[in-house]
Amino acid sequence: MKRNSGLFMHDKTYYEKLGFKCGLEIHQRLSVSKKLFCNCDAHYDKGSKIGDIERRQRAVTGELGGRDVSAEFESMKKKRFRYNIFDSKTCLVDIDEEPPQDLNAEALDIAMLISKSLNADVPDEIEPMRKGVVDGSDPSAFQRSMLVGYDGNLKIDKVEVGIPTIFLEEESCGIVAHDGDSVTYDTDRLGIPLIEIDTDPIIHTPIEAKNVARTIGLILRLSGKVQRGIGSIRQDVNISIIGGTRVEIKGFQDIEHMDEVIDKEIERQIGLIEIKNILKNRNAEVGIEKELSHVFMKTSAKIIRDQMSTKGIVIGLRLAGFAGLLSKEIGKGMRLGREMSDYAKTSGVKGIIHSDEKLDAYGISSDEMSDVKKELNVIDDDAFVLIVGKEDVCREAIRMVKIRAEMAFEGVPSETRAVSNEQTTRFLRPIPTGSRMYPETDVLPIVPSKKTFDKIDIKKTSVVLRKEIGIEQLAEQMLWSKYLHTYEDIRKRTGADPLVISVTLLEKFRELKRSGIDVDMIDDQTLVAIFNSYKEGVITKAGIEEILKRTPRNQKEVKKIIESEKLERISGSELKELVHKFEGTGRDKIRRIMEKYRLNIDGEELSKIVNRDDDGK
Amino acid sequence: MYTDEIVRIFKESNVEVGDIVRLSYGNHVVEGIIMPRPESGDSNVIIIKRTDGYNMGVGYNKSIKIQKIGKRNAATHTVKKVIAKSNVDVHLLYTGGTIGSKIDYVTGGVYMLTKPEELLSEVPELSDVANIHVENLMSVASDDISYKEWIVIAKHAADALNSGAKGVVITMGTDTMHYTAAALSFMLDDLSGPVVITGAQRSSDRGSSDAFMNLICATNAAAKSDIGEVSICMHASMSDDYCNMLRGTKTRKLHTSRRDAFKPINEKPIAKVSLSGNMTYTNNYRKVDRNNKTKLLTGFEPKVAMLKAYPNSDPEILDYYIEKGYKGVIIEGTGLGHMAVSTAHKEYNWLNAIRKATDKGMIVGITSQCIYGRVNSKVYRNARLMHDAGAVYCEDMLPETAYVKLGFLLGNKSRDDSRLLLNKNMRGEITERTGEEEFGSFYA
Repeated sequence: MKRNSGLFMHDKTYYEKLGFKCGLEIHQRLSVSKKLFCNCDAHYDKGSKIGDIERRQRAVTGELGGRDVSAEFESMKKKRFRYNIFDSKTCLVDIDEEPPQDLNAEALDIAMLISKSLNADVPDEIEPMRKGVVDGSDPSAFQRSMLVGYDGNLKIDKVEVGIPTIFLEEESCGIVAHDGDSVTYDTDRLGIPLIEIDTDPIIHTPIEAKNVARTIGLILRLSGKVQRGIGSIRQDVNISIIGGTRVEIKGFQDIEHMDEVIDKEIERQIGLIEIKNILKNRNAEVGIEKELSHVFMKTSAKIIRDQMSTKGIVIGLRLAGFAGLLSKEIGKGMRLGREMSDYAKTSGVKGIIHSDEKLDAYGISSDEMSDVKKELNVIDDDAFVLIVGKEDVCREAIRMVKIRAEMAFEGVPSETRAVSNEQTTRFLRPIPTGSRMYPETDVLPIVPSKKTFDKIDIKKTSVVLRKEIGIEQLAEQMLWSKYLHTYEDIRKRTGADPLVISVTLLEKFRELKRSGIDVDMIDDQTLVAIFNSYKEGVITKAGIEEILKRTPRNQKEVKKIIESEKLERISGSELKELVHKFEGTGRDKIRRIMEKYRLNIDGEELSKIVNRDDDGK
Repeated sequence: MYTDEIVRIFKESNVEVGDIVRLSYGNHVVEGIIMPRPESGDSNVIIIKRTDGYNMGVGYNKSIKIQKIGKRNAATHTVKKVIAKSNVDVHLLYTGGTIGSKIDYVTGGVYMLTKPEELLSEVPELSDVANIHVENLMSVASDDISYKEWIVIAKHAADALNSGAKGVVITMGTDTMHYTAAALSFMLDDLSGPVVITGAQRSSDRGSSDAFMNLICATNAAAKSDIGEVSICMHASMSDDYCNMLRGTKTRKLHTSRRDAFKPINEKPIAKVSLSGNMTYTNNYRKVDRNNKTKLLTGFEPKVAMLKAYPNSDPEILDYYIEKGYKGVIIEGTGLGHMAVSTAHKEYNWLNAIRKATDKGMIVGITSQCIYGRVNSKVYRNARLMHDAGAVYCEDMLPETAYVKLGFLLGNKSRDDSRLLLNKNMRGEITERTGEEEFGSFYA
């Protein structure tokens, strides 16, 4: 492995040797007026909160017997879920107080269009299902979901990636607060139609993963029926390597870093497999926990003393053969110790103390340390873990640490992980198993319509853009840009020069953002107003940028800026008059006029007038 | 059910519903479990539960190849026997309803558990509250419960209390729960322990079901409270924080689907029960007398009807009941207890019909379709006419309760005593005064 500016750079054979397998799940919110199974407003803007309710949920026995591991896990946590209720965005269906209404036919149409565009077939009968959700993100404890497309594929250059499944489902609640046992959710987002597109786990490299994600994202955008903005599209990545197991990564805020995150996750998995082998050689084992409160009765370690003074206890656990491995780096900033700590935290403790750390930094004395070692029989290459807190929380935390420690013998645990800072990942929960699906009995099976759809075609759009914009590179940039819709919107509604629109959206926007101006705050409506002024000759091309700098919020503000900044274009006879007021000829004259009226005069028009005048002389 | 052709193809391919199969058609190969065909939907579409857990429908045609690749594991679901940590004996009488409902592949809807222990195993914390003896009386929807079932339930409740149970919990469907509650209120007298009825608005196979809290609260109330009445214990609000204990004769289902559908009418809740089992009493109630035996009165006259007054309603319907030998009828009048008795349209005038009915010995009770409030025969002429024609004005009694009470009275007492007792309080069904807070407080 060679490092290159903090990033691992590898070729294809590196991933082949590792047996790298990767698949994607893309979730995209659809832009429709109503929610999937009720008539609530499905636009994702905040309504006004009109109340809240509190709920409990528990794991129930699934359709095929047995319970779902992850379901049990969440249930065990005895959480209280609070749901904020919104005017026009929440109804009884959302909060599980009324059976669902009919499926939103518009959403199904979009899902079918996207399925067909990904060369997938739609089932002869669609069976709405309930997918168990026990983190509280759905008040009904399940998400309604249905298979709408299967056995599709996507071709990118010479690579073909299978799209085995496409689902139409309900968006979950947005989390607003998490405080100990209590989690608060907003229900305004809940039930907005969402499409999920899965790829086969045959993606060969992290770069390829990124390309597939980008392409699917573009197809979704080209449908013209998807929501835009932060959180409206989410990518989950499933990764495994030889000797490991499937790990799911959620929460990519920015697709640009997807390959980097995947590389770091691979590194973590390699590290865990190394640890597994070391543990095997050392005949390592997980000990039995023991209460050690008596060791710390007079401790000067603040973190322990504070807990003990509020009826807390200290529990210790021997991890035979783990010495040095808890702090061994498995990828940047990632260690087995932190992974155990992440598991422990699910019980409510703030973290764990372990023997690979500098314990004197906590204020733990050497006497206390040797007492702990004696009590736990810690010798040679053994490590230990200490947890302080209220007894029930402590016992739960130590149980979780033991679970994670046992998993170290297997190498890579099957987990759902979240992207955190620095493009690394953190434990979120165990990967849910398949037993959490059962039919939605309150809804009848759906027979999809036989109507045909014009497939979304990236190439076709690309050709159109090239023709419009005229510059191939710019057209290609626009195709993949998040401003594609904005571009089309402005072009269709104003008829302004496509080249000017694309240069503004792609280049000017970038420049302005670099200088600290948040041009993304300007909505499409306002942009249309600006380009309308340009198209109608009210302002010049240079005037566009001047307005953007002042980030107007609506048409009225655009007008105001034009007036207050004196951006009105001077043209025609008015310009001729102005030209005549200046002495001289040619370029020199143009330069002098432009120096004074740069924002108000179109250079082309000016040079035409000046040249004509010169010729006339 | 699948079409005969599909059934035949299954047979030929040695495939049964529940087997793991590989379906090949066109460019597709789908593997999964063959599911039963619900009654809803196209019977020519095979439903397969894919390995990813999703069901999908595959339209049958001759080119489909079906290959068996495995037999489904027998259901691994075993009911865990819950060992009670509490020595307080509580009997749980199971009768069916949503609280014990599970998914049914045959109807595509939900079916009722036949093993109520399954329900208890979902709520293991109940073992801390009581030592629960489950009696599986029936497994029916509450709409299918008649007075015959009321008698069975009442008998088991009395037996349980008289053989030492601290309290009784009855689980049932919610649709007619308030009728059952009223019936048990009259059939059981001198209660020596609480009788608590509960159910659920959401089936217990979903993690968000109200069944769990309702069951926990009801069991706590049965094990710990001294309420010597039949009460309904259901969610007080849409939150899972506490239940209301509602008087069996003063409660009505007021919402089709919300978990707090049951509200006290013209009355306050008897108590609140929190999820942790704490009881807060909010009204007067009859205290249990542990030294007494619970009395059981199982007579019930089924020939009692309910009628609703509405514009253009036909009085001849009463003739039908008279002809059929009905002994009583409860009318849901309008407002203070009115019907069309002064109208010039003879065909819509009920006065003669009421007079005829009472002359024939039928008891005609008047309640109000306003649900809230008290009827009064003295304010308007129409009511005075009805009263003079022999109708009995039933104070602030709920129409449903009045119906059940009349059936109970006629089943156990003489006609004259029944008429006399109809508008006299026996089990809290009639109050002397109505407080300000007893109407619409749940909108706050």
